[in-house]
Amino acid sequence: MSAREDILAAIRARRAKAVAAPPSYCAPAPPDSVQAFVEHATRANAEVRLIANETEIPQAVAELLRARNLPAIVHVPPNASNLPWNSAPGLMRERAAPGPEDAAVAIAPFGIGETGTLAYPSATDAPASWHFRAGFEIAVIRAEDILMRMEDVIARLKATALPPTLNFVTGPSRTGDIEQTLELGAHGPKVLAILIIQD
Amino acid sequence: MTLDPRAFREAGRAALHDPSLRIALGRLKTHFALGRARAVERYGDWEALREQGRAIRDYALAHLDTLLEEFERNVVARGGQVHWARDAKEAREIVLRILREAGAKSVTKGKSMVSEEIALNPYLDANGVEPVETDLGEYIVQLRREPPSHIIAPAFHLNKEDVAKTFREAHTALDPDRPLVERTELVAEARALLRARFESADAGITGANFLTAEEGAAVLVTNEGNGDLTRLLPKTHIVLTGLEKVVANLEHAAVLLRLLTRSATGQDISSYVTVMNGPRAPDESDGPQNFHVVLVDNGRTRLLGTDAEEVLRCIRCAACLNHCPIYAAVGGHTYGATYTGPIGAALNPGLMGVGVAHRHPNASTFCGRCAEVCPVKIPLPTIMRHWRAREYASGLAPKSMTAGLGAWAFFAKRPALYRFAAGIVACALKFLARNGRVHSLPLLHNWFLVRDFPAPQGKTFHALWTARQ
Repeated sequence: MSAREDILAAIRARRAKAVAAPPSYCAPAPPDSVQAFVEHATRANAEVRLIANETEIPQAVAELLRARNLPAIVHVPPNASNLPWNSAPGLMRERAAPGPEDAAVAIAPFGIGETGTLAYPSATDAPASWHFRAGFEIAVIRAEDILMRMEDVIARLKATALPPTLNFVTGPSRTGDIEQTLELGAHGPKVLAILIIQD
Repeated sequence: MTLDPRAFREAGRAALHDPSLRIALGRLKTHFALGRARAVERYGDWEALREQGRAIRDYALAHLDTLLEEFERNVVARGGQVHWARDAKEAREIVLRILREAGAKSVTKGKSMVSEEIALNPYLDANGVEPVETDLGEYIVQLRREPPSHIIAPAFHLNKEDVAKTFREAHTALDPDRPLVERTELVAEARALLRARFESADAGITGANFLTAEEGAAVLVTNEGNGDLTRLLPKTHIVLTGLEKVVANLEHAAVLLRLLTRSATGQDISSYVTVMNGPRAPDESDGPQNFHVVLVDNGRTRLLGTDAEEVLRCIRCAACLNHCPIYAAVGGHTYGATYTGPIGAALNPGLMGVGVAHRHPNASTFCGRCAEVCPVKIPLPTIMRHWRAREYASGLAPKSMTAGLGAWAFFAKRPALYRFAAGIVACALKFLARNGRVHSLPLLHNWFLVRDFPAPQGKTFHALWTARQ
C-alpha cells in the first residue's frame, strides 16, 4: 500500500468516537472597530496617523520620512501608483522592490479592529514580498475597511476568492530570541506607520 | 550535541550545575509566564475560548481522515502537491526528492519542529543541499550545532554574550573588531547576512501552525517575517508538518490563533500570520512557482483511540514548558528530544516508544500547572500517568522504585501490620528530629540536600481517626 493509503487506513481503524461540530464562536469585541484598531496597532509598536482623505497621503509619507531623517524616496507598488503623488514635490518614487533599508507604501484592503492588524491579499499589482523586504512600511487603509475580526476579513475574501498568499501584519517585524527581550526589525520592516483615511 | 532521552538523569544533573543556564531559565517566569497572564486577562472570557479551542481540535481529530482528504483535494485544485510520509525516513526522502527535482543547492528554512523531529538538516547536508535556518534563535543554534532547547524560543538557554561569541566565530568575513555587545547589534548582523541567503536560496521550507481542509491552505505564524521570505523569494516552497495540524476551515484556525499567540508569547496576535494557499497565480510577480505540502505521521496516528490521544490536540504554544518546575530546573536539552517539558513528557513515549522516552513522564511533580495553562485543555499529567503505568508494565521502572512500591504494598495489604509499622516510623522520626524538623535519613541523602521534613507531632492519622469515631 502507498503511504497515503496506509495512513488513512490507520486513522480509520483507530477512530473511536463521534464528535459533533463545535458551536459557532464570536470573540468579544469593543463597540468601535477603528478606535480598537488604533489602540491595538499602537500597542504592537506601529505608528498610527489619521488623515482626512487620499490627497493627503503623499504629504504624510514625505513627513514620515523627514521625521526619521530618511531620504525622500519611497517604493510604490502598482496598486498605489495612481495616488496624487505630484502633490508632494521632492518625494521620489521607485517602482522596483524595496531593499532592507528602503521605505515602501502598501495599500491594505482590510484591517482588523480586534488586534490592530492589516490584511494584504497578494495580487498582480500588490506583491506580497514587499511587506517583508522593506525596512520601513507605510500602510494606507480606509477607516471603513477596518472590520472587527479576522473572521470578517476571511468572509469578505471568500465571497470572491482567496489569494495565493494572504498576509496579516500587526506592527513591525520583531524577535525575542535573544534573552527573550523585544528587538524590532528582525527580518522584515523595522518601522510600520499606518495612515488611516477617514473620509 | 547528540540527543538521547535515556540520559535524562545525567544531563539533568549537569544542567542543575550550569550557572549560565540558571540565568537563562530565570526568564521563564519574568518574561513568558507574566506576558501570558496579562494577555489572558486582557482577553476577557478566556475559559470560553479554551473550550472552543478544545472542541475545534477534538472535531478535527475525530474527522482526521476526511479532513486530510479534503485538504489534499483543495491543495491540488489550487496547483499544489501533497505528499504523505509514514515515518521520518520517508519524510526526509520526499523533501530531498522535491529539492533535487527543483535543482536546489541551498534551501532557507523557517522554524519547524517537525524538521527537527525527522532530523532533516544533517540529511540534507549529507546529500549536497545546504540548509540555512532563518529564525534568529534557530539560526543561532544551527551555528552552534545544537538542537533547539525550547519549542518557540530555540536559543532560550543562551545569554547575549554566548550569541556574540557564536557570531564572531561563524561570521569570519566581518571585521573582527566590530562592536557586538548590544542585542540590537546582534539582530542587525543576522538580518544583513540572512537577507543575502533569502535572495539566493533555490527553495524554502517552512512548517505550518495549522492546515485548513476547506481552503487547502497552510497557516503560518511568525514574528520575524522569516517564514514569509522563505516562502515568497525562492521558486519552490515546501510546507513540512505533522498531519494532526489539520482543522476544518480558516474560521477554526482564527479561533486557535487567539489561543496560540497569547499562550506562547503573550501577544494578542503575532506580527505576521500568513495564509499560504498554493503557488503564485500566473500573473503574480512574486511567490513560489511550486508548492508542496509534506504530511508527516511518524507515530501520530498510532496515538489515535488510545489513552494518550488528547496529546494530538497540541498547538505547540509552549505554555506548558514555561510553567513547568522541572523544565525551569533542567532546561530543554536535558530531555534529549525535540519536544520538551510537559508536552514532551506526554508525547515522546508515543512518538519514540516507551522504552526510549520513559524517563520523561517521570520528570514531573504532577503539580498540574501545565494542564491549567494548556490552551486546548490537554490533561497532561493524566497522560504522563498513562505512560508511567506502561513503563511499570513493561518492567522499565527503576528497581529501587519497584522494590519500594512492593514493600509498601506488602504493608498496605495488611492493615494491622501497617498501623503498627506506621506507629514505629512516627516514633522514630520524632526521635531523629532536631527542633521539630527531620534533617536527614538513611538512603535519602539527596532528597535532604535541599529540604527538610516536619517531625510527626504525636499520634498517627489512623489513631486520631479511630479516637474521633
